[in-house]
Amino acid sequence: MADSPAEESLSKKSAEQSGWGRFDWSGLPGDVVDTLSSLKLAISLFIALAILSTIGTVIQQGESSDFYIKEYGEPLFRWFQTLGFTDVYNQVWFRAVLGLLIVNSLTCFYKRFPGIWRSMRQSQITVTPTFIGALKQHAKISIGREGGHVAEKMIDIFGSKGYRVSATRIDKDISVFATKGIMGRVGAHVAHVSAAVIVLGGLIGSVTGFRDFGVGLPGQTYWIPQGEFNLTVDKFWMDYYENGAIKSYNSTLSVSDPLVDNGKKQLTKTITVNDPLVYNGIWFYQSSYGDHWDQIDKAKVLIKEKSSDQVVSDVMLDWKVPMEIPDLGLILNVTGFAADFAFDSETKQVSSKTSEHNNPAVQLAITEENKTVTPWLFVDFPGIIDIPDSKYAFEITAYGPSKYTGLQIAKNPGITIVWTGCLMIVVGMALSSFIFHRRLWVNIQSEGEGTVLHVGGNTHKGQIDFTREFSELLERIQGIA
Amino acid sequence: MFTALFLFDLTFWLYLAAVVLYIGYVAVGRTGLQLVAEGPRQLSTSDWSVPVGQLATMITAVGLFVNTAALAMRAHERYLLTGTFAPWSNQYEAMAFVAWSIIAGYLLLEFKYGIKAIGAFVVSIGFIAMGAASLLPYRYQTAEPLVPALNSYWIYIHVSVTLTSYAAFAMAGGLGVMYLLKERAERKGLQSSVTAAFPNLETIDELGYKSITIGFPLLAFGIILGAMWANYAWGGYWSWDPKETWSLIVWLIYGAYIHARMTRGWGGRRAAIYAIFGLLMVVFCFWGVNFLLSGLHAYA
Ligand code: HEM
Repeated sequence: MADSPAEESLSKKSAEQSGWGRFDWSGLPGDVVDTLSSLKLAISLFIALAILSTIGTVIQQGESSDFYIKEYGEPLFRWFQTLGFTDVYNQVWFRAVLGLLIVNSLTCFYKRFPGIWRSMRQSQITVTPTFIGALKQHAKISIGREGGHVAEKMIDIFGSKGYRVSATRIDKDISVFATKGIMGRVGAHVAHVSAAVIVLGGLIGSVTGFRDFGVGLPGQTYWIPQGEFNLTVDKFWMDYYENGAIKSYNSTLSVSDPLVDNGKKQLTKTITVNDPLVYNGIWFYQSSYGDHWDQIDKAKVLIKEKSSDQVVSDVMLDWKVPMEIPDLGLILNVTGFAADFAFDSETKQVSSKTSEHNNPAVQLAITEENKTVTPWLFVDFPGIIDIPDSKYAFEITAYGPSKYTGLQIAKNPGITIVWTGCLMIVVGMALSSFIFHRRLWVNIQSEGEGTVLHVGGNTHKGQIDFTREFSELLERIQGIA
Repeated sequence: MFTALFLFDLTFWLYLAAVVLYIGYVAVGRTGLQLVAEGPRQLSTSDWSVPVGQLATMITAVGLFVNTAALAMRAHERYLLTGTFAPWSNQYEAMAFVAWSIIAGYLLLEFKYGIKAIGAFVVSIGFIAMGAASLLPYRYQTAEPLVPALNSYWIYIHVSVTLTSYAAFAMAGGLGVMYLLKERAERKGLQSSVTAAFPNLETIDELGYKSITIGFPLLAFGIILGAMWANYAWGGYWSWDPKETWSLIVWLIYGAYIHARMTRGWGGRRAAIYAIFGLLMVVFCFWGVNFLLSGLHAYA
């Protein structure tokens, strides 16, 4: 979009002049500001961010050393580590480029916006025919009517196209100036400021917010220290499509706040993947689910009589609900579970090595003739545990794992600022894309009975549409009677 | 009973016919000019190119209608199956929707500026999008129910806005190719070349720029909607997932373009090449990332 020289001198250029790569830090603050506000810098930073982000997507981020060594080999991995390519977005240089872009766009705003602001309020511009002749769109028209009349008609014509028009008389010449669509240029600057707003919101969020993952078992209540309230997981379940695929997973959560209503329930909500619960600025997201590792819902126990090796009973037990079997003189209760059995011989503690159900073991409390024993029975190795004092042998043939709900817990005080910035950037960009700044100048000179008009105009963007509008305007001007 | 798949197939053939006609229109325009130059018979461009051009526009419009019907049908099928209806919920549907927006955008352009030769390029891209969709394996083409993470009303707006921005960039890319052809022909002084029927270079350049200034804010809006969705679904608005990062990369690339246009004399050939490069990046963002890089956004 090559502006004409005359336009340049008038509008103190919306375009850049200096050559590529001439970064002049010679110490004068003015030069620094020029460099920081330059379009060249902006374009370089856009490209730089694009390249750095490309590196960040092509090389997987934040994996273990083993992963990279397997994928790329040792020497390359060393390079990646030195350069920070395994964690691009957290590197100082990445942040620096982003920061520089913000400084750049704010400086740009600082340098250029005042000019636009002035031209929003400025209502009079008188120009010479030479200036008009140098504009991209221009024409010379003769009309057989007197200047004042022509000027009035022009104000109507431009006004009907949505222009703001002003006319000035100097001696016998009349100058008409018309403008519209300045909001398009204001929009660009709204976008510039909002980029900084978004980054500011992001910073606030990362300094004052947090993001955690928590596991919740149905029926349990958890203390949420960051918000100082209790969260109860009432229920967790899944919905399925007809073909068996998972449609959604859902948790019903309740909040009770000890500081409010003596800890009575404040709020109950069923959350699903796209529908979180919010309390006191803390958000609970349904993020995953799984089989729990130290609790189950049900266990199926097979009881054999040792003497005859006959199955004498087959019972289904609920977690921690004792069951009496009078025929056999037994009371059974499921009191413990370990998904991946581990035993610490020093503390005599049973635990789960991993959360995977690799070697599940169920602890059964067996009360027989008023004596209770609590052996651990291995689901995958039936019959290896013998209870010496008992008439019976016990095997766990099946169990119903209890599901936990995986909750993402997050607080982000910067989020409102981020969304405000986003709204501004969208509005700003939309304005600048759909509204174009157009200006028209007319110089009216009397010549005998009639007048000679020099009409010219330019547009900030959207040449084709402006060319059309301009010729339409000319036609109407020629028709002035 | 028409199924959506049948209608999508029909769309494909209609777009193919439209492409052939637009190319025919450009070619006939050339012959017309040649005859005028040589001819005792005063045969002008209008003799053949007008009816061919009209037919091309008509077939394109019918194609768009069928494409619309196909999307509506798919929306209905989805609704019956899963209770949500966004007809852009997998790669296939998304491609068909991009084709739809490219063609719709093109028809608007033709309606507004009356330049048919552009159809030879832009409708071709719409056709390629539709064709690439139909090359996808069958299992990608059916309306599988959505996984829980995608099952949300955000999908209606986030995906459609983003895909529409891709269509605008596709339009700019097509105009870029057209610009380069015309520019080459002019440089070589090929008067009677096919490109004689093209609009002048400045118009092509301007329209390409215009397409990008429409795509650019749309993509920003689409990315922001994605961030809002992510914040709603996963508790963080930005996680540098490959897909979201690529759409940011694409946005940055066009951001550089928009600002370069503000500098003096940046346009024409350079801008055309850049627009084609940008389109390749969009294609990678749309296809490459889904199939090559892993992440939350892999539809399938
Ligand atoms: C940080 C991200 C940035 C965003 C989102 C952004 C966005 C925009 C948008 C949407 C426009 C309007 C484009 C058009 O009219 O087609 C624009 C124009 C412009 N941008 Fe940026 N920009 C950014 C950074 C910068 C920077 C760092 C500079 C520094 C020089 C800059 C300089 C300009 C200038 C001079 C204009 C023309 C303004 C006018 O019309 O008066 N931008 N920008």
